[in-house]
Amino acid sequence: MSKSQSASMYESAKKIYPREIGGRFDKLSKLATISLLGLFYAVPWVLWDGRQAVLFDLPERKFYLLGLTLWPQDFPYLAVLLIIAALSLFFFTALAGRLWCGFACPQTVWTEAFIWMEQFTEGTRSQRMKLDKAPWSFTKFRKKASKQFLWITFSMWTGFTFVAYFTPIRELGAGILALNVGGWTLFWGLFYGFATYGNAGYMREQVCKYMCPYARFQSAMFDKDTLIISYDEKRGEPRGSRSRSVDPKESGLGDCIDCQLCVQVCPTGIDIREGLQYECIACAACIDACDSIMDKMKYPRGLVRYTTEHNLHNDKTRVLRPRMFIYGTLLVILSGALVTSMAMRKPVILDVIRDRNTLYRELPNDLIENIYTIKIINQSDGARRFALSVSGIDGITLDGVQDELLVDGGGVLSLPVRARAHRDNAYGVSEIEFNIEAFDDASLVMSEDSRFLGPTL
Amino acid sequence: MIDEEYRGAKQWSRDKQAVFTVIWISFLSAAIATMVFFALFDPVELSGYFDEELDISRDAGYAIGFFFFWVLCAFCSGVTAFLVRTAPKRDAKHRRQ
Repeated sequence: MSKSQSASMYESAKKIYPREIGGRFDKLSKLATISLLGLFYAVPWVLWDGRQAVLFDLPERKFYLLGLTLWPQDFPYLAVLLIIAALSLFFFTALAGRLWCGFACPQTVWTEAFIWMEQFTEGTRSQRMKLDKAPWSFTKFRKKASKQFLWITFSMWTGFTFVAYFTPIRELGAGILALNVGGWTLFWGLFYGFATYGNAGYMREQVCKYMCPYARFQSAMFDKDTLIISYDEKRGEPRGSRSRSVDPKESGLGDCIDCQLCVQVCPTGIDIREGLQYECIACAACIDACDSIMDKMKYPRGLVRYTTEHNLHNDKTRVLRPRMFIYGTLLVILSGALVTSMAMRKPVILDVIRDRNTLYRELPNDLIENIYTIKIINQSDGARRFALSVSGIDGITLDGVQDELLVDGGGVLSLPVRARAHRDNAYGVSEIEFNIEAFDDASLVMSEDSRFLGPTL
Repeated sequence: MIDEEYRGAKQWSRDKQAVFTVIWISFLSAAIATMVFFALFDPVELSGYFDEELDISRDAGYAIGFFFFWVLCAFCSGVTAFLVRTAPKRDAKHRRQ
């Protein structure tokens, strides 16, 4: 048994050999694969202001996203972003079915790339089937070995590109060339590389069939107006082979010539003519296959096509329907909130906590003192100096505070401060306001309200 | 053109389905748990909290945390899958009704 067979995730003799088919949707899928993979491999190389444009710097605990630097306290943005992503998935699934699965899911995209390498080294579907059956020979070994070489190289490149989203890629690249890579970097590179190899090389659409939760609950998002890939049963049946000269109307046959091509090209091994099945990842290979046959038979295209259930039953398809409005509205509100809050995000956060242990202290000279903890979080890249002041009571002062407070880039300064005011001005509860102003940027002013307690009259 | 052999594209066995599903779903859950957990806690501060002598780097902390969550989630969904699949069949009394 060959190495590839014994490691195969398919029952060995029943491996799926998807047949290659050209066509409109095949072109679209190639375009999607190339642009998405291109993005994945290219993005870590892009620079922004002299540093990597997209870098989730875990060792430093900061995320660079183009001009933006995000800190762990910005985590809510990420959470909202994930919710938006999930909602968009619902929205597009309700609208257009499993577009994501067929064209954009990493599983599909990498599988596609691995199948190209397989075709390049081992040939077409029938050549591959013959090769697997043939006894070991030099040619078989050469073909299998070159496939493995391409797969493994590509997997490793993928693994280290993945790591490069977390470690600066230029240092990483230099490290790899010098064979000097940190232990964890090496580990995650190999881990992700191996996962790519296993998922795209061997498991392929089995992942979609057995392991993907989305495939199972998509039916909850589907309705009769959702774009699906379907066989037009009314037009196709009764199916049967016939010679090209026979007029199907006279022979009583439908348009389906039962050539099985739609089944052969299906990467999940289903027969689309049996109706909508959860295994279908909407790759549209069967549409291309059927169109090519329809062209040969000089029948109109579209026996297998993108359509909706309403359309198949000669009803009107409604694009605008309540669920589209609900998903759409939620999406607009959340995206708007995210963009607004990010645009209004100040590079500095000021927090004031009043000391809970004491109400106030009476000092000589009729002074009243309250204690606060001031927190300044500097979310900019570089260190900044701030001046701290307080207002709200005539003659209120701060004791023991330096004129300049230095806060490192991404740093937090936690500072206990004592505010003092004359007792004549501070009876009862007074509202006061703490202010900070950056020395390097006079427009960067933050204030935070608090309370000052004094004796009752 | 009919390819009978091809039609035999067979399913994974139930056991294989269960094992890989558990591994994959617990991987996803562990990824989310790791993200949330380390957004709140810095592994360097945590290692000092448990033991002053312990000197764990951030990289190692993240990795240990991730694998801890993965094992925990795999245990959880593995036991659930096991119990669901080995649950007793309906007893004779109910079958008669």
